[in-house]
Amino acid sequence: MPNTMEVIGPDAKEARARTIAQRIALGAWRSIEFRIGLFVFTTMVLLSIFWPMVSAIDPMKINIGAKLTPPVLFGENWTWTHPLGTDQLGRDMLMRCFVGLRYSLFIGLATVMIMLAVGCLVGLWAGYRGGLTDTILMRITDAQLSIPMIILAIAILGVSRPTIPAIILVLGLSGWPVYARVMRSVVMAERKREFVRGATILGASDLRIMFLLLLPLCLPPIAFVAVLDVARMIIFESVLGFLGLGVQPPTPTFGNIIADGRKYLVNAWWIATVPGIFLFLTLASLNLMGAALERSRNRVYGGKA
Amino acid sequence: MFLVNFLIRRLAQGAVIVLLVSFLIFTLLRVVPGDPVRLIVGGMAPDALVEQIAEEMGLRDPIPVQFFRYMSGVVQGDMGQSFIRPASGAAVGGASFDDNTRSERANVLDLIADTAPYTLQLAVLAMVFALVIALPIGIYGGLKPGKWPDRFALYIGSLLISLPNFWLGIVLALVVSVNLGWLPAIGYQGFSYTILPAIVLAVEIAPFLIRTLTVSVAQNMGESYISVAAIRGISHRRIVMAHALKNSSVPLLNLLGVQFSMLLGGVLVVEFIFDYPGLGLLTINAVLQRDFPLIQGIAIVTSAAFVMINIVVDLIATTIDPRLDY
Repeated sequence: MPNTMEVIGPDAKEARARTIAQRIALGAWRSIEFRIGLFVFTTMVLLSIFWPMVSAIDPMKINIGAKLTPPVLFGENWTWTHPLGTDQLGRDMLMRCFVGLRYSLFIGLATVMIMLAVGCLVGLWAGYRGGLTDTILMRITDAQLSIPMIILAIAILGVSRPTIPAIILVLGLSGWPVYARVMRSVVMAERKREFVRGATILGASDLRIMFLLLLPLCLPPIAFVAVLDVARMIIFESVLGFLGLGVQPPTPTFGNIIADGRKYLVNAWWIATVPGIFLFLTLASLNLMGAALERSRNRVYGGKA
Repeated sequence: MFLVNFLIRRLAQGAVIVLLVSFLIFTLLRVVPGDPVRLIVGGMAPDALVEQIAEEMGLRDPIPVQFFRYMSGVVQGDMGQSFIRPASGAAVGGASFDDNTRSERANVLDLIADTAPYTLQLAVLAMVFALVIALPIGIYGGLKPGKWPDRFALYIGSLLISLPNFWLGIVLALVVSVNLGWLPAIGYQGFSYTILPAIVLAVEIAPFLIRTLTVSVAQNMGESYISVAAIRGISHRRIVMAHALKNSSVPLLNLLGVQFSMLLGGVLVVEFIFDYPGLGLLTINAVLQRDFPLIQGIAIVTSAAFVMINIVVDLIATTIDPRLDY
């Protein structure tokens, strides 16, 4: 941003040479919580990608003989074959957790992409055009914002068949309004600046200004904080699975594993609790990274970095 | 005069929003596959009967016609009757189509009015718990930005927000209720049944409160009126309690308005886990039973509540900080 050029101190030159996005990322990288989060998250992702490839265990293979084996070091007759125990049908919990994590991550990322795309386009259009376009788009946004997202999601998924694309679409389309609002307010502030007027005088089309000038400037700060929403969407997805409206069994997801395990809670506590710990670790790592990025962004915009 | 203007404008906007919401939900429910009449009459009913009942209930008319008929009922305070629930009590979805003993169906408005107080009780208690957790952590964190209380607030917030509510509910039910026997968990037979669900809900809300409080307290403490207050000889304690906190509560109030829908989503899940007889459980059952009038009714009531809460929040915010202009 040109008007924050007068940065005081020896870092001034360094700061000027970088884009805002780079400064935010760098600021986050300097904090310990971001590194911890990134480490845990990368480990989880790599394991969930490669472990099911390497291991010979099939997450859906039923082995009644080995059912309800407790995790390592808990109770009797635990084995190293099933480090986290097995469920009521003798399926390996570790493998089911990793496969569940794959689906969670995929759905979480895809959903946030849709939210970002729709929200930012609506916000960009409304903020740039202003006037009647703005009023109409923002009233729609308000209306959508006032329907609790989860009610909308379970209403649609409950009455239609929950498939993975349907889940992604429903979650994505019910989560965009917040992005639209933020994007609109940023664009409204930016569009009055000189570089936009200059571009207009030079004969740039509206589309060119919106997508080549405004979007690259306004998107990165919003996209960074979207990491927090990936975590939120993963929770939503598992809530849907828990209610029986998510990815359907036998495909394991955190939601349906925990919902299943609830019935065996007193005899086999690990079925419901172990996937929860997995989920918690993943979410915590995402949230730590997101929080660090958010703080770094606020510092950059507050003129302190 | 300002107040009247404000109320008229906001209520009119709110009415538009509620209308949009109800149209959206109404259309969605009719577009997605799944015939509710089939559920009402049961699987064994002949197709001709299904069509006949659908005609009688007006479910084969064009959607705008249906919507107009429905809304003209709603403005007169009639949200229609549940497709499935009888007025006398338990749901009997999928009963035989020629069952004469089936009594009249329950009014949607009655169903909502019966369950809403329970949800309100749960929400208020959860809010109290959340504030008890968040106020000390958030304020202390905001007073020392960059120091360890601030970091502590960040970490605890990130950890609490990562706890999936349904999982926490199950674990708490197992540990507190089954193993320790301290609190009852499932159903509702008295006030003590509200405590455990409220704790789970509070854990879900608290991180947002902590984050907002930390940021807004830190920001206010950096303002010049705070440094001036110290020169005026006001004690540090009074500066924080009376000046900084008062102004920091405005973002907190706004958060309440914005995050209302998140609170509602949490209520839904928590009530489902603990089998708590509130609005959330009613919603889930309505969806699973394809009880269209009930889903619509709940959507209208919740969006109206959202509008009202936001109006009240803005009103209180203007009394706290008169500079705010809505």
